[in-house]
Amino acid sequence: MNRVSTLPDFSRLEVAMDQWSAPFWQAGGEHRLVMPRCTACATFRWPPGPFCPTCRAKAVAWVPPGAARIHSFTILAQPGADKDAPPQWRMPTLVEFADAPGVRLVSVLIDAPCDAVAIGDPVEIVWQPAANALVPVFRLRG
Amino acid sequence: MAKAAAAITGIGSTPIWFRGESAPRTMPELIGEAVMAAVADAGLALDEVDGLAFFAFGFDTALLIETLGLRAVTFAHCVSSFGSGLAGMLDLAAMGIESGRARNIVCIGGTQQIGRRLGQAIGSFAATPDNIFHRIAGLGGPGQALALQVRRHMHRFGTRREAFGEVVIASRAHAATRARAFRRTPLAMDEYLASPMLADPLCRLDFCLETDGALAFVVQSAERARDARQSPVYILGGAQVGTADWGRAFFGFQQDEDAFASAGGGPVARRLYERCGLGPADIDVALIYDHFSPLVVMALEDFGFCARGEGGPFVESGAIRLGGAIPVNPHGGHLSDAYVVGMTHIHEAVEQLRGVAVNQVAGARTALVTGGPAPTPMTAAILGNQP
Repeated sequence: MNRVSTLPDFSRLEVAMDQWSAPFWQAGGEHRLVMPRCTACATFRWPPGPFCPTCRAKAVAWVPPGAARIHSFTILAQPGADKDAPPQWRMPTLVEFADAPGVRLVSVLIDAPCDAVAIGDPVEIVWQPAANALVPVFRLRG
Repeated sequence: MAKAAAAITGIGSTPIWFRGESAPRTMPELIGEAVMAAVADAGLALDEVDGLAFFAFGFDTALLIETLGLRAVTFAHCVSSFGSGLAGMLDLAAMGIESGRARNIVCIGGTQQIGRRLGQAIGSFAATPDNIFHRIAGLGGPGQALALQVRRHMHRFGTRREAFGEVVIASRAHAATRARAFRRTPLAMDEYLASPMLADPLCRLDFCLETDGALAFVVQSAERARDARQSPVYILGGAQVGTADWGRAFFGFQQDEDAFASAGGGPVARRLYERCGLGPADIDVALIYDHFSPLVVMALEDFGFCARGEGGPFVESGAIRLGGAIPVNPHGGHLSDAYVVGMTHIHEAVEQLRGVAVNQVAGARTALVTGGPAPTPMTAAILGNQP
C-alpha cells in the first residue's frame, strides 16, 4: 500500500487557550515553537500550567526545545470526502525534543509514507492555519 | 497480614444488553434492579442498606437514594476516578465498614451507552487549552491514544501482535462456555491478524465490547459475613494511588519510559501487595481490566506476574488460560463477555471465590481485581475466601 498521511483541515478549529498556554500560541503565530521551562529549577512542564511539577515555582521562560523526533505514532483511517472516495490516513504522532527532557508534544504527522515511518525519525515543525491561530504539525525531516 | 475487616456477601446484576438496547430503561432503574438482586443474594432487606459506594461514572447519589426509597444512608461516597476507581470502590466500602460508618454498604456501577459511546465521548467534550492538542492530532477516543503507548511497548520489547491476539483468543475461549457472553465464537490467530486496523497497531478485535447493564455488591463486616447466606468473599486489601505522570492516563503522554509503555498499574500494584502482605505468586486468578487487549499484556507486567517487557512472550506461552500460570478473566472479560466498566470482573471474582464460576479455577482462594488503566488514582484489590 502506498499510504501517505494527510494534512487535516483546521480552518474551523478554534484553538482554546488560557493565560498559561497563550505564549505558546503567540510564538506559534511567528512560526516559532517554544516550551515552558521553570526559571527556578529548569524543569520543563507540559501542558502549560501554574506550577512547576518539581519545585512548584510559577515563573517560566519560553525556550526552543531543540530537535524533535518521533516517540510514537498511530495510523487512523478517516472516511473520504464521499462514500466512494478512498480513506484518508491521519497520523497522530508524539514527539520528544533534544533540549527539553521529560516533555512530549502530540500533533499530527503530515505528508509521510505511513508504512515507512519509524519511532526515532526526526521531524520538523510546520505551522498551519486554524480559525484563530497557527497550529503546529510535524513533517519528516528530509 | 491483617485479618480482613469486610467481605462481599451479596452480588446482583441486571441482564446485559448490547449498547443502547437497554432503552427505554433508565440508569436509576438498572441500578435499582442490581441493588435489589444483590441485597436479596445477601439475605438482607433493602431497608437495611445504609451505605453506597461507587466510582466516578456520573451517578446522582440523591436520585438513587430517592429512587430506591432508602431512609437512612449514613455513608455515600465515590472514588475520584473513572474506571480506574473500580477496585477502589471495594476499598472504600471496606473503609466505611471498618470505621463503623455503615453496616450494609452496596457498591454500585453500571453503564448505558444510549446516543453516546464512551469510546467517542472525548471527541465531544468542549475544547480546552489542553485537549486542543488531542483535537489537532486526531485522538478522539482512548483506543487511539493508547495506540501510541502500545506501539512503544512493541518497539522497546519486541512485543508481537500475536500476544494481543492471544489475549483476545483466550477471552473468546473462556466466553464460549458462558451463555450470556456476547462474543462466544472461537477465534483463530489468522482471523485476528486479518482484523482491520482501527488505530494501528490496534485492530478492531483489540477493542472491547460496548454493552449496557448494572451490577451491585453488598459489603458487610467480616464478622457479620460469617453468618451470611452465601459464603463470604473477603476484601483482603485495596490500594489507591495517584501519580502525576499517569495523571490523565492515555492522554497525558508525559510518563517516564517504563510508565509510558505500561498499563499504569506499577505504583498501585506495589502498594497493594505491601498492604496485603501478598505477592503475585499468591494470586490464583486475575481479573484484569481489559477495555483494550494490550492492556492485559502490560498489566501482567505492572502486577509482577512477569518482568517488564516480558508480557508478550508470557501471554503467548498460554499463561493466561485456565490451567495456565495465572488464569486471567475466566468469564471472557470486557473483550468477549460484556463491558460494564469492570463490574463484571468483580462479579466473576466473587463467583470464583465462592467456587461457583462457570469456568472455575480449581481451588481458587485469592483473586486480583484491577481498576481500568484510566485517569489517576489507579486502584486494585485482592479478594479471598478466607479472612
